[in-house]
Amino acid sequence: MPDPGPGVAQSIQSEQVTVGGERLLVCLDPSPFAIPLIRATKRLAEAQQAKWYALYVETPAHDRLPPENQEQVAQALYLAAKLGAQAVKVSGFRIGDEILAFARENGVSKIFVGKPYARPWRRFLGTSLVDHLIWNCGPIDVFVISGEGEGEAAPTPAPGTKPRRLLREYLLAAGAVGLCTGLAWILFPHLALRNLAMIYLLTVVIISSLLARGPALFSSFFSVAVFTFFFVPQYYSFTLADSEYAVTLLVMLLVSTLVSGLTTTIRHQARVAREQERQTAALYEISQNLTAINSLEELLKVATEQISRIFHCRASLLMPGKQDRLEIRAGHPYEDEYGKEGQVAKWAFKHGHLAGAGTGTLTEVKGIYLPLTASHHVIGVLRLETAQPERILAADSLRLLEALGTQVALAIEREHLSTQAQSARFEIEAERMRNILLSSVSHDLRTPLTVIAGSASSLLEGEQSLDPDTKQELAQSIYEEAKRLDRLVYNLLEMSRLQSGEVKFNKEWHVLEEVIGCALAQLDTQLHDHPVTIGLPADLPLIQIDALLLERVVINLVENSMKYTPSGTPLEISARVQDQELLVAIADRGPGLPAGAEERIFEKFFQAAPGSARGAGLGLTICRSIVEFHGGRIWAANRPEGGAVFSFTIPLVEGAPLLDKTLPEMEKDLTDESDNPAH
Amino acid sequence: MNPIILLIEDDASIRRFLRASLVTQGFELLEAGTGREGLALAASRVPEVVLLDLGLPDMEGIEVIQQLRSWSHVPIIVLSARGQERDKVANLDAGADDYLTKPFGVGELLARIRVALRKSMPAEEGKPEVMYSLGRIKVDFERRLVFRGPEEVHLTPIEYKLLAVLIKHRGKVVTHRQLLKEVWGPSYIEQNPYLRIFILNLRRKLEDDPARPQYLLTEPGVGYRLREE
Repeated sequence: MPDPGPGVAQSIQSEQVTVGGERLLVCLDPSPFAIPLIRATKRLAEAQQAKWYALYVETPAHDRLPPENQEQVAQALYLAAKLGAQAVKVSGFRIGDEILAFARENGVSKIFVGKPYARPWRRFLGTSLVDHLIWNCGPIDVFVISGEGEGEAAPTPAPGTKPRRLLREYLLAAGAVGLCTGLAWILFPHLALRNLAMIYLLTVVIISSLLARGPALFSSFFSVAVFTFFFVPQYYSFTLADSEYAVTLLVMLLVSTLVSGLTTTIRHQARVAREQERQTAALYEISQNLTAINSLEELLKVATEQISRIFHCRASLLMPGKQDRLEIRAGHPYEDEYGKEGQVAKWAFKHGHLAGAGTGTLTEVKGIYLPLTASHHVIGVLRLETAQPERILAADSLRLLEALGTQVALAIEREHLSTQAQSARFEIEAERMRNILLSSVSHDLRTPLTVIAGSASSLLEGEQSLDPDTKQELAQSIYEEAKRLDRLVYNLLEMSRLQSGEVKFNKEWHVLEEVIGCALAQLDTQLHDHPVTIGLPADLPLIQIDALLLERVVINLVENSMKYTPSGTPLEISARVQDQELLVAIADRGPGLPAGAEERIFEKFFQAAPGSARGAGLGLTICRSIVEFHGGRIWAANRPEGGAVFSFTIPLVEGAPLLDKTLPEMEKDLTDESDNPAH
Repeated sequence: MNPIILLIEDDASIRRFLRASLVTQGFELLEAGTGREGLALAASRVPEVVLLDLGLPDMEGIEVIQQLRSWSHVPIIVLSARGQERDKVANLDAGADDYLTKPFGVGELLARIRVALRKSMPAEEGKPEVMYSLGRIKVDFERRLVFRGPEEVHLTPIEYKLLAVLIKHRGKVVTHRQLLKEVWGPSYIEQNPYLRIFILNLRRKLEDDPARPQYLLTEPGVGYRLREE
């Protein structure tokens, strides 16, 4: 499998180093020497500015390694990825061939291997990995690096895997062969010798398909021995009556060992495939889920939930909060009575190493702590708590966990980056708005100020010459322009308050009629040019609103209509209940809206006819903010009979005091009081 | 003797414009630029009305009101900026009599001062009113009858009581709280929606165009005011 797919072998690339130059490959084996080997390669890679790979070839033998060695492999790959290598794990049978295939595939120029400590007989046969590489490497350089001098422990001899379980399997294998012998004994009178041999072969196949390689191999030897003893003349002895039997037995032995070997290999491959499928599915699912999420909180929540589910544990995610203290941001809360958990979490965060229960470091806690490393640094710690940490820390499971951790870290980082990008965009937008605002406002402020200053100076200069009517007119325009300025300033302040979220909304039950009346009262003399008719049904329900803000909506809409319609044209304000909403409409008889401007007029600083009328173009924007805050909609349209109509809705809320029902109740209170002579 | 008005305001140009208007209207004006100065003048000269700006350099306007109220019943009119409705209500609750929102016209100011002066005239206090009229509205207190033009208007007892309270404070703002307390009793002071419904009904009975009231005015976010003639 020279080209590992994303789920088949996890590629964890931390830093993009110059591609196209030297490419180094470090081969890992399940020994503590892997670590110094990685560090040495990293130094060389750095010195040469080279891209480098760390490769581990997982053979069927990998499963038979003691857990410590499996852990060492996982740690080594993890470290390599952290140090900037592309850490890759491939499955195969012949380590040397896999390494060379990978090296050729990826254009590797130098291969680094540890100094071999192969068994003496292999050395004698000249089949050590190094020899294999050197003989077959072609143009690739092979470097052998000594792991000594790094102060690491010597490789520990691999003790047998779970001796008790293995012993049981051997007994099972022996039992099965015994059973087979019983069967053969019964059938012996009826069957030819070669057919009895077939029964034994079948037994071996069954055993190898169920048990480990050792017992399987044992069963093939054992069955041949038993077969020879009981059924091959001379009976009850290992002596062969005819030399021809020797051939039969030899073939039987060869076939049964081959079959048992093949069967266990197929099982291993099937298991690896299943495991890889599970990992691929989990990774695919989590990466799918994480990409679809927009908020960090949601992302952390989904990530911890998925990891909890995949590993059957209680996962939580810690990230630095205030004063860089790690805080639980998502997942299961946990007890930390003596602060130990916190310390381990901190250590894992600081050093970027796996720590906690079942790992090699700081094991006196309940949680397993996996640092989440994004492209540049550790951004958080994933904590897993389970009764069987060794289950999670098994090589395959750990590899999956690390891959998921990387996915989560990258997703978090992506989220951080997008937040940053967004705030940068906001900044730019705000800056642009400030500029537009300044130019627009300075124009809008200057016009009324010019009128005020001009009128006032005319009054001063023309004290004697001006007739009383003109003086009155000048004074009136000073007054009106000042009022207009006041409204403009108020709108500006209101806008910035609404935008900054500083406005405290004060919703109460209100009568629409009063809100409209209040708004019109504030517009006062301006309305003289436009007759306003108000058509409100007498039984409108109460609405839950912030009256001051809604008044602002009515004021701005009416003011806007007056601004864009010729004086003397009427305005109509009407309201009705429609689909659980109160629909308010302000209609005019003016020229109507320019085509296509119906939506844009609600944008900030947009003016239907720039320069022709006053106002910073904020009025309708404020209206929209306020109406939307109330959960309503606002829009504009042209009337078929001419003129424009601005409509907005306010949702009707349950529980409004009803106009007719509340009256008797309240009246009764009063009648009680007034009937009481003591009152 | 001209009525004395104390103006506590730190902005010199506002003081100048008020001085020009008030002195020509025949008031004697005392000016103070800080709260302390104002309190001292209020004690030494005993003004009939106090105009108080809220943005004073040395102390909060509400503190001035509280200190003044601890020994004086002088009417206080607060000059406040727009968008401070909560402050207005707080000041009124602390003892201020009325408020004016900046920018204001001199006409409005003089109307408020007139109302305030009426309160400070002891002669009118306690004297029971018999008849009251405002525009086309007439109220006969003895017979508890209300007329709009020549026709009698039928008010429910509570509507009548509400109108009576507004007439008692005519020309002056009455907060929602104050109205609810005086009409319904202290346990109803939070029932603003009921008050709004009753005002709506009162307007429908008394106003020509209830949606654009001429007499029963709304003070947004604060309360109601019955217009002075």
